[in-house]
Amino acid sequence: MTVVGARLNKGLVLTGIHKSYGKVAAVKNLDLHVDDGELVALLGPSGCGKTTTLRMVAGFETPDAGTIEIDGEEISALPPHKRRLGMVFQNYSLFPHRTVAENIGFGLRMAGMAKSARDAKINEMLDLVQLQGRGDVYPSKLSGGQQQRVALARSLVVNPKVLLLDEPLGALDKSLRESMQFEIRGMQRRLGITALLVTHDQEEAMSMADKVAVMNGGRILQIGAPADIYDRPKSRFVAEFLGASNIYEGHVSDDGGSLVTPGPQGPVRLHLPEAQKAGQSLLLSVRPERMVLTLGEASAGLAARVVGAVFRGNYAAYQVEVPALGRELFVYRQADGPLGSTTYHLGQVVTLDWAAQDGVIVSAE
Amino acid sequence: MSDTSLQKTSPGRRMRLLAPPFLALPAVLFLVVFFVMPLIDNGMRSVISNDGGFTLSRYVSLLTDGFYLWIIAQTVLLSAGVTIISIMIGYPVAYFLVRKAGRFSGLIIFLLIAPLLTSIIMRTFGWQVLFARRGLVNNLLVDQLGILSAPLRLTNSPEIAIAALVHVLVPFMVLSIATVLQGIDTRLEESAKILGANRLRTFFEVTLPLSLDGIGTGAILVFMIANGSFVTLVLLGGGMQTLPLMIYQQFNTTRDFGMASAMSMILLVIAVSCLFLQLRLVRRKGT
Repeated sequence: MTVVGARLNKGLVLTGIHKSYGKVAAVKNLDLHVDDGELVALLGPSGCGKTTTLRMVAGFETPDAGTIEIDGEEISALPPHKRRLGMVFQNYSLFPHRTVAENIGFGLRMAGMAKSARDAKINEMLDLVQLQGRGDVYPSKLSGGQQQRVALARSLVVNPKVLLLDEPLGALDKSLRESMQFEIRGMQRRLGITALLVTHDQEEAMSMADKVAVMNGGRILQIGAPADIYDRPKSRFVAEFLGASNIYEGHVSDDGGSLVTPGPQGPVRLHLPEAQKAGQSLLLSVRPERMVLTLGEASAGLAARVVGAVFRGNYAAYQVEVPALGRELFVYRQADGPLGSTTYHLGQVVTLDWAAQDGVIVSAE
Repeated sequence: MSDTSLQKTSPGRRMRLLAPPFLALPAVLFLVVFFVMPLIDNGMRSVISNDGGFTLSRYVSLLTDGFYLWIIAQTVLLSAGVTIISIMIGYPVAYFLVRKAGRFSGLIIFLLIAPLLTSIIMRTFGWQVLFARRGLVNNLLVDQLGILSAPLRLTNSPEIAIAALVHVLVPFMVLSIATVLQGIDTRLEESAKILGANRLRTFFEVTLPLSLDGIGTGAILVFMIANGSFVTLVLLGGGMQTLPLMIYQQFNTTRDFGMASAMSMILLVIAVSCLFLQLRLVRRKGT
């Protein structure tokens, strides 16, 4: 080991990880760096390789190629029990034949800690997850949220180098999920623990992670802060997987300032966020909530007709038909009309527009 | 079927019965005539003395006489031994079947059940062919390999009887344990590993405790069947005495039907206590 820079790579570093099952490659040449104390979410549809990646970090799967380092130490040859990790599973995975206290103390007992010291730690954790006095209860007597908090306490009490979260909130109902997102995130931040989260729920990824890595087909397509990923998607897949997107295909006009997209009544010119090289083919993505609707026909923008209106509480989702483009687009608007209905109604003629800088150019991937 | 039981069933519940209750009558009659009545008759026979009066003397001698106590003890010890060996052989097989076999599990289950498809007499004679004085094993040891100068006396010993019983009873153990192992979420084992338990500790801390129910069910099955085994012990046991053999003797040699009845009642009590144990085990799991 070189002395200089030996401790440069704090946190979790995956380099060139490859894993295939038979002829199917589950993870392809993946690089990932989770900084010390950072929470990174691997987000993607099922089969994208996110769970395989997590299981390789845990040691349940062996990568075909590549290295996994924690705080600069290569761990891919170590068995799971020597990696000093914490892991929370979707179904909590509490030992049903052990009490809550025994579950939390399991890792400490494995490490050979004396009973008195163990008990003190267990009580400390029970306080932390607000389950004081429930130590002698069996897990089956607890609610889903409580079981998840025990699972969290069990994984944190051993002071793991990295916390692995495998769809940790997937089994909880929606309202509980939201409060647990805050709780897990708060605890992870307070303890300054490096964490890797695997989820297919974009809302969960965005509300919990410092960085979101969107995966598809065994690759990380884009990694960055949640707002960055959402507002500046680089590819069509990222734009459509995180929230909804209206995507326009076409080529850049001769003056470089707009996108020419084919339509049934002839080409339509759409404004681009910035000038582009004339003639090249492009994909333009605009988020539904960036679209602006005005009632009636206006001089600028696209004429459209409301063909679908869905009330969603704090906002409304509209489906509008644009004859010039020969297709339907999605528009989300904050609820700002009179109480008790959506602002626009079925059949109304509207004009559709968006600010040029709200469009994002994405790759076809 | 009493009035109270009829009152308890609501009309809605009775509507959902697949067939009217009277269709069960033939089966009930059959059981009464060929099971309940003989059982009562047997019980009566065991407490009525040869001159027609009531007596418990047979039970007294069965439970105090050293000879009979030794036979009861031998019966229980034999069954316990067979049970323990079956657990030790059956658990690894069940584990392999559930966790490692993959697409070969069907073949393994077939191989397990295959011995049960042959008649018990054939199977027992099979063991004799293997272990007889001029049988396969002795032939190999003496003539082919020349390890021994004279054939070993392998048949007619308790050991060979135990081996034969284990051979036929292990499938029950394997299937009982495999069923429970199948239901254990492997993520529980992964949780233990992540928390610092090596493979051995993971097994003893998580896998084994969670599969105790399967071991319990298998043990009771094996114990009860071994307890009542007869043919294997007659043909291979080498004069070993257990309750079923004694009962047979009382009938055929001594013709002391009263004593035979008392012995069978004791055998029945051992079997029923086993079932009771199993029920308690199942109930504990239910809560």
